[in-house]
Amino acid sequence: VATRVEPVIPSWKDGTVMRWLTTVDHKKIGIMYIVASFLLFFAGGIMALLMRAQLAHAENGFITQDAFNTLFTMHGTVMLFLFMTPLFVGFGNYFVPLMIGARDMAFPRLNAASLWLFVIGAVIMLASFGAEGGAARAGWTSYPPLTEDAFSPGVGQDLWILGIHISGVSGVIGAINFIVTIHNMRAPGMSWTRVPLFVWAMEAFAILVIIAFSALAAAMTMLLLDRQAGTAFFLPDAGGNPVLYQHLFWFFGHPEVYILVLPAMGMLSEIIPVFARKPIFGYKAVAFSTIGIAFISLLVWAHHMFTVGMPDGLQTWFMIASYAVAVPTGVKVFNWVATMWRGRISFKTPMLFCIGFLVLFVMGGMSGIMVASYPVDYQVHDSYYVVAHFHYVLVGGSLFGLLAGTYYWFPKITGRMYNERLGKWHFWLMLVGFNLAFLPQHMLGLMGMPRRIYTYEQGGVFEAYNAISTAGSFLMGIGFLLFIFNMAKSWRSGPRVGNDPWVADTLEWYATSPPQEHNFDKVPYVTSPRPVRDLRLRLQRDQQ
Amino acid sequence: VRRLLIGLALVGLCLLSVGSAAAGNGGIGPPSSATESGSSINTLYWMIIGITGAVFILVEGALILFLVRYRKRRHMPENEEGPQVHGNTRLELIWTVIPVLILIGIMAVTIIKVPSVNATPPAGSDPLVVDVVAHQFYWEYTYPNGVVQVDDLRLPVDRPVRLELRAADVIHSWWVPELTGKRDAIPGRTNTLDFEVRKTGTFTGQCAEFCGVQHAVMTTTVEVVPQAEFDAWLGQQEAAQADGTSDLGEQTWAGVCATCHGLDGEGDVGPAIAGNSTLSDKEGLARLLAEGQDNEGIDGYMPPISTGWPEKQLDALIAYLVGAGLAPEPADQGEAQDGEG
Repeated sequence: VATRVEPVIPSWKDGTVMRWLTTVDHKKIGIMYIVASFLLFFAGGIMALLMRAQLAHAENGFITQDAFNTLFTMHGTVMLFLFMTPLFVGFGNYFVPLMIGARDMAFPRLNAASLWLFVIGAVIMLASFGAEGGAARAGWTSYPPLTEDAFSPGVGQDLWILGIHISGVSGVIGAINFIVTIHNMRAPGMSWTRVPLFVWAMEAFAILVIIAFSALAAAMTMLLLDRQAGTAFFLPDAGGNPVLYQHLFWFFGHPEVYILVLPAMGMLSEIIPVFARKPIFGYKAVAFSTIGIAFISLLVWAHHMFTVGMPDGLQTWFMIASYAVAVPTGVKVFNWVATMWRGRISFKTPMLFCIGFLVLFVMGGMSGIMVASYPVDYQVHDSYYVVAHFHYVLVGGSLFGLLAGTYYWFPKITGRMYNERLGKWHFWLMLVGFNLAFLPQHMLGLMGMPRRIYTYEQGGVFEAYNAISTAGSFLMGIGFLLFIFNMAKSWRSGPRVGNDPWVADTLEWYATSPPQEHNFDKVPYVTSPRPVRDLRLRLQRDQQ
Repeated sequence: VRRLLIGLALVGLCLLSVGSAAAGNGGIGPPSSATESGSSINTLYWMIIGITGAVFILVEGALILFLVRYRKRRHMPENEEGPQVHGNTRLELIWTVIPVLILIGIMAVTIIKVPSVNATPPAGSDPLVVDVVAHQFYWEYTYPNGVVQVDDLRLPVDRPVRLELRAADVIHSWWVPELTGKRDAIPGRTNTLDFEVRKTGTFTGQCAEFCGVQHAVMTTTVEVVPQAEFDAWLGQQEAAQADGTSDLGEQTWAGVCATCHGLDGEGDVGPAIAGNSTLSDKEGLARLLAEGQDNEGIDGYMPPISTGWPEKQLDALIAYLVGAGLAPEPADQGEAQDGEG
């Protein structure tokens, strides 16, 4: 007769929950960032599906105009501020110390503060749905005077400002932590030309966060003072200027695009070489183009404002600066493609998502050339063409990169392998669904469909394109159900893996899966950007 | 399974291209334009899509070629490495310089096209200047002789037109895709938009900058007629608006009030107002429309919407409402009532 020796203790009593809540371990913080961001992603995704359902056919009455306006406002806000930015912070948190051979981030407690500020910001943002008058409904860009007290009464807009402020502070202190960590805690021998390319990307990410989020904080503060303290920064009747807000917002907003794309590019630069069995083509070009993109991205903001009536000279300058970004971006794309040349390419799920990135992001880049030519922008600005363009960049680019990273590092984080078959289904559903959802939106924009409209009257092709777009979005939704199922099931019961299931190059694969609390017992001396491969070759040589 | 999905994707793409061909704009292009300015934008569009399309096909072609040619075959040993090529400076310089040259070309053509897109009327020409004030959620057009139109703009063909765009409340954007690009209407500044329509017809457009709850239905139509017909209409409209027999009241009701309160005043996002006594109380209605209201919570909110109206517009509105039975006969002594508005 078997007797139970220890009674089962619920996890909130044996200290597991408290350990997670009070942890300063970069890996646990990273996991909480990643899980929380994905939860918020599903919230934002449901908002998108509700909007697509409303737009499925002409003059639909599925949801009210107020609900629709709230949904597109919160969809953008959640996806940009509460999903993508913190998800990159989560991956950075988990992998930057591991990849540079450090035991933790430079400031572990600051790291925890950054996480919990993000959580507080997210809770405020979501809770604002219950505020009197509902959540904010003036778009994720929140242009005054529409967001001024006179046109947006109710506390939803104030809570929105508060939520952005708090998550912005979380981002800035997290960024400071990344910079200090990367500059001071690299393993012996890891000079700047041996730093993994994802770490380069997180360095650029952190610099941009500090610069851009500060401008955003200024804009938010001024808007809050206008609403609550009777100032008139953006109120023309009292001498203010609403266009000033747009300058401040886009001085944040355009670098934000690169805040969200550069780390995804960093992930590609890690993953493509591993699955092509080759070193990255032109390490230095890829690293320096990261810094180049980050720098130029600070000079292009007013290309979001071509229709406000700027002098031609100024518009020409912002067009030239915008085209300049395309050059280092092109260098990266060409180098990734060249990395595959004469490789031994295996099509595992992470690699599939990288290839998806290379197709979709380049399409987004091409429509970016279009919208940066400012006369063309007069036509397509604020239309569905632009909606399609930035979804090709942010979903086809950033999200595909993030999913590549999620599948790639899943075995490291959990110690178990995901289900390859489900992963491939997820990829193909995403690729097909995404193009069905967003390719027709280019045409809709050209046909005259402005963004942020809850209804339309046109039938015929116009309506058909909208229906196709809705169908595509639901296909992506199905793909993500598979993703959740795959992740949840594999985390519990996937086959166990060793330290290095992909036979990869960088130091995180030198640690155990999942890594121990202190990451490494001993870090090898780094002599190239691929220390784990060097170690592997040395061992093989010794055995012979 | 994968083949099935690829097949589905291809079928979807075919459907898309057939559908867009049926749309009559070549499938991937903007609608043909009725102005020089808009046609120049379309020329730029086609040039850029040609160049970027070629680059896209080259890059993706190389990608697909490499994926097929250098895929891992079954007979290859597990984890066999490819040749350890670390880069090639000359190649990398080439693919940095070539995009720079292409982009310089695109920018040069853009800059050359800018004057014709701007379509600034030459000195000495006689453009028709229309004052456009954007409101939540309608367009108020005022002609040089004082004629007011709500949402429906009428223009002469083959004559330079200058719209002077202003906004009374929040930011809006005037966009009629078949004429030319959009231009924002921003409170506190005046933007101009120049164009010359080359063919008669009716063109529709709508506000392109999110401006609040009914942004989606802030539409406008532009009717372009021969100059003689335009002059006759404008003169006749001036007389009719002076003696109160014009359709300005009906336009105002349909364009301004009905957007939120319904065409029969039955209520939509705003409450039902048919028969409300404030509608025929000139003093009370003027105050309500000028100040808006912000009663107890968001549901009692109405933006100020009559900023800048000439007096004839309010008179015309009340006359129309009383005539159409939407408002009660005005009382002799207009007692100011703060009813729902």
